Amino acid sequence: MGNTKLNESRSLKESNPYSKFKQIDGNHPLKKNVPEAVVEYQVRTRHGGQVAFFNFDLARELGLIPENHLDELTEELKKEILNTFSIVIINEYDQMNNFNFPKDEIKANTYMATRYLQLQHPCKKGTTSGDGRSIWNGQVSKGGKTWDVSSCGTGATKLSPACNINKKFYQTGDPTVSYGCGYSEKDEGLSSLFFSEVLAKNGLETERVLGIIEFQKGLAINIRVHDNLLRPSHMFNHLKQNNLPTLKRVVDYYIERQSKNKIWKNVPTDSKSIYDYFLNQMMETFAEMSANFEDQYIFCWLDWDGDNILMDGGIIDYGSVRQFGLYHHEYRYDDVQRWSTSIKEQKQKARYIVQSFAQIVDYIKNEKKRPIEDFKNHHSLVSFDKRFFDYKNRNILTKIGFTPKYAEFLLESCRKDVEDFRSDFTYFEMAKSVKGPQKVPDGINWNAIFCMRDILRELPQLMLSRGMDGHLNEGEFIDIIKSSYATKKDLKRSLRRDLKIRSYQKNYIKLMNKVAAKFKIAPAKVLLDVSMRSSVINKYDRVTGDSITNIVAKVMSKRPKLSAEEIGGILKEFTEYQNLNPDKDRKPSNFESQKEQSRLVKGMLQIVREFRDGI
Amino acid sequence: MKIVLYSGGNENENRVLNIKALKLTGADVPKLTFIPSSSYDAEEDFKFFVDEFSKLGVQRFMHFCVDTPFTKTMLGEVLKSDLIFLGGGNTFYFLKHLKKHKMFDHFKKFLKRGGVLCGLSAGAIVLTPHVHTASFPHFDRDENPWDMKNLSAMRLVNFEFFPHYKNSQRYDEELKHHSKKSNLPLYACPNGGGIIIENDGLTFCGKVHCFYQGKKFTISSYLG
Repeated sequence: MGNTKLNESRSLKESNPYSKFKQIDGNHPLKKNVPEAVVEYQVRTRHGGQVAFFNFDLARELGLIPENHLDELTEELKKEILNTFSIVIINEYDQMNNFNFPKDEIKANTYMATRYLQLQHPCKKGTTSGDGRSIWNGQVSKGGKTWDVSSCGTGATKLSPACNINKKFYQTGDPTVSYGCGYSEKDEGLSSLFFSEVLAKNGLETERVLGIIEFQKGLAINIRVHDNLLRPSHMFNHLKQNNLPTLKRVVDYYIERQSKNKIWKNVPTDSKSIYDYFLNQMMETFAEMSANFEDQYIFCWLDWDGDNILMDGGIIDYGSVRQFGLYHHEYRYDDVQRWSTSIKEQKQKARYIVQSFAQIVDYIKNEKKRPIEDFKNHHSLVSFDKRFFDYKNRNILTKIGFTPKYAEFLLESCRKDVEDFRSDFTYFEMAKSVKGPQKVPDGINWNAIFCMRDILRELPQLMLSRGMDGHLNEGEFIDIIKSSYATKKDLKRSLRRDLKIRSYQKNYIKLMNKVAAKFKIAPAKVLLDVSMRSSVINKYDRVTGDSITNIVAKVMSKRPKLSAEEIGGILKEFTEYQNLNPDKDRKPSNFESQKEQSRLVKGMLQIVREFRDGI
Repeated sequence: MKIVLYSGGNENENRVLNIKALKLTGADVPKLTFIPSSSYDAEEDFKFFVDEFSKLGVQRFMHFCVDTPFTKTMLGEVLKSDLIFLGGGNTFYFLKHLKKHKMFDHFKKFLKRGGVLCGLSAGAIVLTPHVHTASFPHFDRDENPWDMKNLSAMRLVNFEFFPHYKNSQRYDEELKHHSKKSNLPLYACPNGGGIIIENDGLTFCGKVHCFYQGKKFTISSYLG
């Protein structure tokens, strides 16, 4: 009997290579484990959609298509994608107005919108906020790992800010409200797609786009995937509401998921230390994330609500995410009612998030909530401060171009030398234009003036050429680091700057010599290795937020001629070019560039180049 | 004047030319600069360049792109090298950027002070009087989407160069056809082959063929 079933299932799989799509049917354990954390909606088929993009590589990773599936959108696959994801919720407005929808278009299961804290909502406790225009499609598993799948643009839920500020339910697609209408747009999906794939390629945690279904008037359903889509704000609302049982269940659910997905290993089993483990994981995650964001110039509007970020430090909601070309640490996004945080304030926000987790853990363990101020000096924050700088030290060594082995030695044995160099580096990185704050299209900025990637890329080559003692003079140094934002006045020499230029090079060479002495290799060989790696890590043209916006506009202008497969091809080519991992697989070559880029990609690279210093 | 033209091929095929080029520098600790035809993925080509010449004992390398902005400091240092190697790729694109940054004058001065200038495939073609040989044969030619009309190049040698030559009728037909219209001899080299120019004398490496006024000749005396 069992064998017959197995055979049946096998033959079904063979006959339908897309059978795994059926797993994504609205079911998600959060609905059962923490029902208070979700709002369930019936959903119906949304007609008129076309698959504008499908991420074949990601679909293979999730097991949605067979490994050997071509990057081809077959009619069957299109049908499966639309059938699974082209949906819209039946919301409160629909019910109040007794809208009747054909029964055969209503899906069997409900789909959930999740509740979480959002600072832009009038209620600062998160009783009314959450997914305003998204629902969770469910989960998909492969090889012991489970991913969450959600879609944005699937209808207006009662958790949107518009609904709660105006105290009314909105019909999905109501043109009088933008975000609150429940729809999302295709350019949002494409921005997230290009941005997230570049960042994922470079080892950052992020949501990824599985597909984009487009509708008329530039509307779209943007499907996103991550191994766990929970955000800190999914816990902070219950904390604010003093709802211990729900809070505990969400925390327990998260720990279990991370453990089952084998992302967290050796999770303690006893009920007390498991929460200490959880807090420690959060501290590590947010210390690393905030150091990485700062060092990679990633602006992600972090705030006390724990929104705009995933529990594992992954990036979500690319609407306000940017990557700067320089350290524009004074940039602030203008969100009409408020200014965003700046990139350098992100650390404090991340620290506050850890403080909130310390409060949560204490609350769960002692069943009594203490005020957040009580945790100002909590040991987890002391650890956070230390680990933040550990990660900053690691990051600067990686950016210089040291291999992990060399970096590890320097971190362990030469911390003071690393910090001395980092201090010189930061001095130049932080330098701002004498012009003062300037208005930019979406906010305000006080331009940074030096491009540190350029000096990291070129200094080792110049030193290698001139010999280890062949330092650059002050003029040469400034000539290399000056960006397109620097004015003549900005580049004026000063005694302090001259001293810093000398100190930068002295401390740089010191690190090379330390590695050379420890590993008994010639300093010039260390410099050569560093130079090679640095030329990849600090590539001249690295993507910025502005460049993504312009690239998406370019792709949009080519639609509908550009097929979903073609977008996939362009994306692959583009993200491969933006892969700044010096250890990536190398193509066979003999100093002869074999790659001919498509015309569109050439245009994109031109855009990246043009906006390389921007925001 | 010390110039080495490479056809193409892998590092083993080019070892003889690489050794010869290094020897031409006369430097004990030579300083090499790699200039790729395009900055696109050039870091990878640079890695291969370093890997190959490191095996021959070189330790000092620079990487310099002409299609991205560069500083005077970098350019000055590049021109102090003992050997400059122009990589392969799209000949028209490379030519466009070399001209844009007036690199020809710099290279001429570099040669005058005793530097060794090497070019592989596209990098070799740009050293000749013009880059017409990049436009044929029709089944294996470089794209010219920029529609460049002025195809004059560095004119460091008085012959044309055809890289990646395959001894076959279809190549010969197009090469003979072209040579009828040209006053210059055209040297066609298979991968691994090349031409060494030292003090106006030519040395051939590999089995090189010469096309001149519609006829094909095989150079019988060569290295390697």
